[in-house]
Amino acid sequence: MINNLLYVYCISNNPLLLPSKLASSGLKSLVFNDFNVLYKLVSESDYSETNFLDIKWLETNSREHMRVITAAMEFGAVVPFKFGTIFNTKISLKKFTTDYSDSLIENFKYVKEKQEWAVKIYCDRKVLLGCMGKLSVEIENLEKTIAASSPGKAYLLRSKKTGLLENEMDKLCSEYGQKYYNEFSRMSTSANIANLLMKESSGRKDTMILNATFLVSKKNSDDFIKKANNFAKEDAHIGFCVEATGPWPPFNFISIKEK
Amino acid sequence: MEKNNEKIDMQHNDIINRSKDFTLLEMLDRVLNKGVIIAGDVVISVADIDLVYLGVKLMLSSVETMEQLKENKQ
Repeated sequence: MINNLLYVYCISNNPLLLPSKLASSGLKSLVFNDFNVLYKLVSESDYSETNFLDIKWLETNSREHMRVITAAMEFGAVVPFKFGTIFNTKISLKKFTTDYSDSLIENFKYVKEKQEWAVKIYCDRKVLLGCMGKLSVEIENLEKTIAASSPGKAYLLRSKKTGLLENEMDKLCSEYGQKYYNEFSRMSTSANIANLLMKESSGRKDTMILNATFLVSKKNSDDFIKKANNFAKEDAHIGFCVEATGPWPPFNFISIKEK
Repeated sequence: MEKNNEKIDMQHNDIINRSKDFTLLEMLDRVLNKGVIIAGDVVISVADIDLVYLGVKLMLSSVETMEQLKENKQ
């Protein structure tokens, strides 16, 4: 099988001085106008649909895709491509960079000197439940009323408390989620909220309450990390867990307008 | 000097995952779902990639659930 197709990792706005270990793995670069395209030559069968369903193949290759783009970030701003984007010829790739030149320039301006950070917040509802007497005025008041009531009335109020607890915990999770989002947004250029992952997908036992990505200026990244650490320390005792990953290539903040 | 120490402490104690050991799901959420996505005659796009992605996500969920069940049994 002839390797004559161009698998594109990303486009950089700076000439790429490829690290030797990456260059030796078949990585090549092409310059079209001001765009430096990072690619490798592949055959059509290398990226077949069957391969995509092979989890080991997918893991190896997607990690390589990410590793190459992350390495390219060392040399300048990058516009990352979706995994598996393959051009037929250098001519078609050049045509793409020409046709989308304005959009690419706009994207480079937007992500220059910035990094993508992901923040996922989880809540251990069992731990939160144990703190609700202190965190919710309504629960606190109800507990006082129960303590001062006759056995019959206390019984009825206790069943009311069960429902109220669930509502109050939902309310608190939403308030804390909003608080985290606002604080991190304040330190970012842009923010994206993604769908909350079910426990089966997140692989965790606690409940996800925020799944967001932030585009953070490099000069603010230390403060961003510090903030995440502070939140993790401050709110762990009431069941909130802050998980931050990065810096990622700006996958979530690239927008190429299709022509 | 003090600032340097602070920086070192932060790197040791922080909760940030900067390692290359990101979860596969987190990786796929980006490389298969985001970035420059072009559809046109200049590009060979992998057939039904979004469907493949959803399939992978479900597959990962199943693997993780199975592992959790195993852990719980132990």
